[in-house]
Amino acid sequence: MILARLLLALLLGLWALSADARNMAVTLVPEGATVAPGGRVTLALVMEPEPGWHGYWRNPGDAGTESQVEWTLPNGASVGELRYPVPETLTIAGIMNYVYEHDYALLTELRVPAGVKPGDVLPIRASLDYLVCTREICVPESAEVAAQVTIGAPAQPGRFDGYRAALPRPIGGEGRFAIEGGKARIAIPYPASESGEGAYFFPLTHGLLKYSAAQEVRRDGDTLIIETDAPGEAAGLKGAEGLLKVGERGLWVTLRPGPIAAGTAEAGLASTILLALLGAVLGGLILNIMPCVFPILSLKALSLARTGESEGTARREALAYAAGVILVCLALGGALLALRAGGAAVGWAFQLQDPRVIIVLLLLVTAIALNLAGLFDLRAVGAGQGLAGKGGVGGAFWTGVLAAFVATPCTGPFMGAAMGAALILPTAAALAVFAGLGLGLALPFLLLGFVPALRRRLPKPGLWMDRLRRILSVPMFLTALGLAWILGRQAGVDGMTIGLAAATVLGLALWWVGQWQGRVGLWLPLVPAAAAAALALAFVPTAATAPAMASAPNMLNAEPFTEARLASLQQEGRPVFVYFTADWCLTCKVNEKGAIERKEVAKAFADAQVAVLVGDWTRGDATIGRFLERHGRSGVPLYLYYQPGKPAEILPQVLTPSRLVSMVS
Amino acid sequence: MKQMLAAFTAFTALALTAGCDGSSSVEEKSATAPVVGQPAPNFQLADLDGKPVSLSGFKGKTVVLEWNNPECPYVKKHYGSGNMQKTQTTAVNDGVVWLTINSGAPGNQGHMDAAQAKAVLAQNGARSSAYLLDANGKVGKLYDARTTPHMFIVDQAGALVYAGGIDDKPTNDPDDIAGARNHVLAALSEIKAGKPVSVASSRPYGCSVKYADA
Repeated sequence: MILARLLLALLLGLWALSADARNMAVTLVPEGATVAPGGRVTLALVMEPEPGWHGYWRNPGDAGTESQVEWTLPNGASVGELRYPVPETLTIAGIMNYVYEHDYALLTELRVPAGVKPGDVLPIRASLDYLVCTREICVPESAEVAAQVTIGAPAQPGRFDGYRAALPRPIGGEGRFAIEGGKARIAIPYPASESGEGAYFFPLTHGLLKYSAAQEVRRDGDTLIIETDAPGEAAGLKGAEGLLKVGERGLWVTLRPGPIAAGTAEAGLASTILLALLGAVLGGLILNIMPCVFPILSLKALSLARTGESEGTARREALAYAAGVILVCLALGGALLALRAGGAAVGWAFQLQDPRVIIVLLLLVTAIALNLAGLFDLRAVGAGQGLAGKGGVGGAFWTGVLAAFVATPCTGPFMGAAMGAALILPTAAALAVFAGLGLGLALPFLLLGFVPALRRRLPKPGLWMDRLRRILSVPMFLTALGLAWILGRQAGVDGMTIGLAAATVLGLALWWVGQWQGRVGLWLPLVPAAAAAALALAFVPTAATAPAMASAPNMLNAEPFTEARLASLQQEGRPVFVYFTADWCLTCKVNEKGAIERKEVAKAFADAQVAVLVGDWTRGDATIGRFLERHGRSGVPLYLYYQPGKPAEILPQVLTPSRLVSMVS
Repeated sequence: MKQMLAAFTAFTALALTAGCDGSSSVEEKSATAPVVGQPAPNFQLADLDGKPVSLSGFKGKTVVLEWNNPECPYVKKHYGSGNMQKTQTTAVNDGVVWLTINSGAPGNQGHMDAAQAKAVLAQNGARSSAYLLDANGKVGKLYDARTTPHMFIVDQAGALVYAGGIDDKPTNDPDDIAGARNHVLAALSEIKAGKPVSVASSRPYGCSVKYADA
């Protein structure tokens, strides 16, 4: 058996060594398309490494080499630069490689000679030298490939759309870099509305940064800042370029030297945390009048008042109580964060951009609202009273623990909100929110401990608390409504319906629970509810189906761009303003806010009956990509103005309202 | 009221979700690479006869360090064509010490024991002063050697004066050697003439050094 395996291994080894056995298949594929003489055809060098093998990006990283291509072309034809798809990182024993561990295509533009006629056949040859490696060994290979470009042949859009979608897109702006104290800092314009989590910068320029060093990503408003180690030679660089990869998306950016602040925490996040912390303290404070917390607190407070303890004892007890409360809140927070970490590892990182997270929040909020409305009750845990009944500092501590613990089931609403915040805030900030919640919960008791006059003025628990609870269900229902709206925006009508259906099933199940409160097996109906929730999560469309235009205040009555719509508007004899944008393009957003979506522009456009079409290239739509290419652009923004009977006017990349108003009047 | 606050907190969080920071993972910190112009870090390795060889033992002499993996196609380019041996001969004849170092880990391509290394040296006719085995990759990581070949030159005073590739044609085609600038020979002749090294660093090219997995 072992012998057979050895033989097999030997045979395979021999096969791998034999001269014509390649580890990467290379083919040359022209896109075709009706080419005018002097026009262009896209050529693809399709590279297909064997499983376990990888090819290299233009900058291969610490080791490896760039592929070399020599073209043999008919007279008068020429090719442009090779365009590489977005690569991946591959670290082997501390050495960074920029690679493709799958099939990929290098694209280039063939410029057809001016003298060709439809039906002419152009022979194209290329000889390639490239490196193909496994994690253990590297083999330089050469390939001779050939193809014929038939002028006027039909295009193969499907295949090439895929190749183009894998290319990086120009970010539509310039970045900066700064080398200081052995560190390279790279600042890239990237809208604050887009998550930059997990971003990685692939430098094309050698010597800008150490490939194998970890990259730290932080945000400064509309700028993404990447910080990593720089090699000695980085100081001499006059410029650089490279590729920013966020998720699967690659954005091409050129960099100029310029100052970048070395700050650590961003101001925006700090104010968010402060706001969340304030909300948590207030929320914790209000938790005290929840029906199940108030009795405990008031009993303890009354005992404090009754025994007329010395000031010092009262204070110590108050502090012990606060410690107990905050500790439990932090423990709960820690548990939730641990869950979050686990979730992030399996790709729960898109957070609230993921409709599934919205569904979970929707169901949670619905359940809370129904609870507040009195549909069902959650029973407090009865244990722990013994410990809490004891006097002294220890007793106060355990009362705090109990109060916070008891508060969990019957004040789940608040925990839900804190959990929502914890899901999206950095760990330290999330823990601070939980601690704030505890502090808020402990605050009245602290006050009672430190201000004796207050001890005599506590309101009595009573029916008023139940009434208040019912009233408080209204804002919670409104929150659920808001979440359903967000879900609709993200996942379309279908997604919203799925979410609402799950909420309905949950509501019915909870109703059942409420009806049979106190019986054995009363939580059984929650099984179908949980199943409904799981189904909803599985089936909600995660890719946004709603048109992205919904996100912009549509004051210009803009319609989604299609070439057919453009043609029909032109046929009607209407002037048309077409603009192309993407969520990740900062220049686009600035132009839209500052110049396009303005009252004076809307009025001028309406007066002149200008139709507006918007092409959203956020997802790299191939038809829009081709349209951009035809207008000499490889990316957004692109602003076009079509006057009836005239060729399109390409507007500058930086717009002003007055430029747009004067254009149409 | 409390639920409103709850909702408020949730929505504040919702609205600002995009402002979320991308926390980065902390990877193992690579040892600070030696800097050209600074003293070269000292090391000690055993040669093929088991005798210890240390850099500090060559004070007053120029020392070339060459990272080697005889099975790497880029190393074969320079040994198969005789370019590396020629460079070694020129250097050694000028009194330069040439240390060839193999940082390949056991089980990886190019790793050898002393007997295997002796056989390879006998076959390719290498002219280096010593062939040193660095199976645990300590010296390779100390110098941040990333490729084979990856070349370093230490001057008589013990300062690192060159780090980078053998030449400026990063291909595996032996035909490219003729037109390439041999950075090591150029640096050695500048050192000999008492001039500063004009190209003190370049991009090394070749296979990755086959270190043990961390």
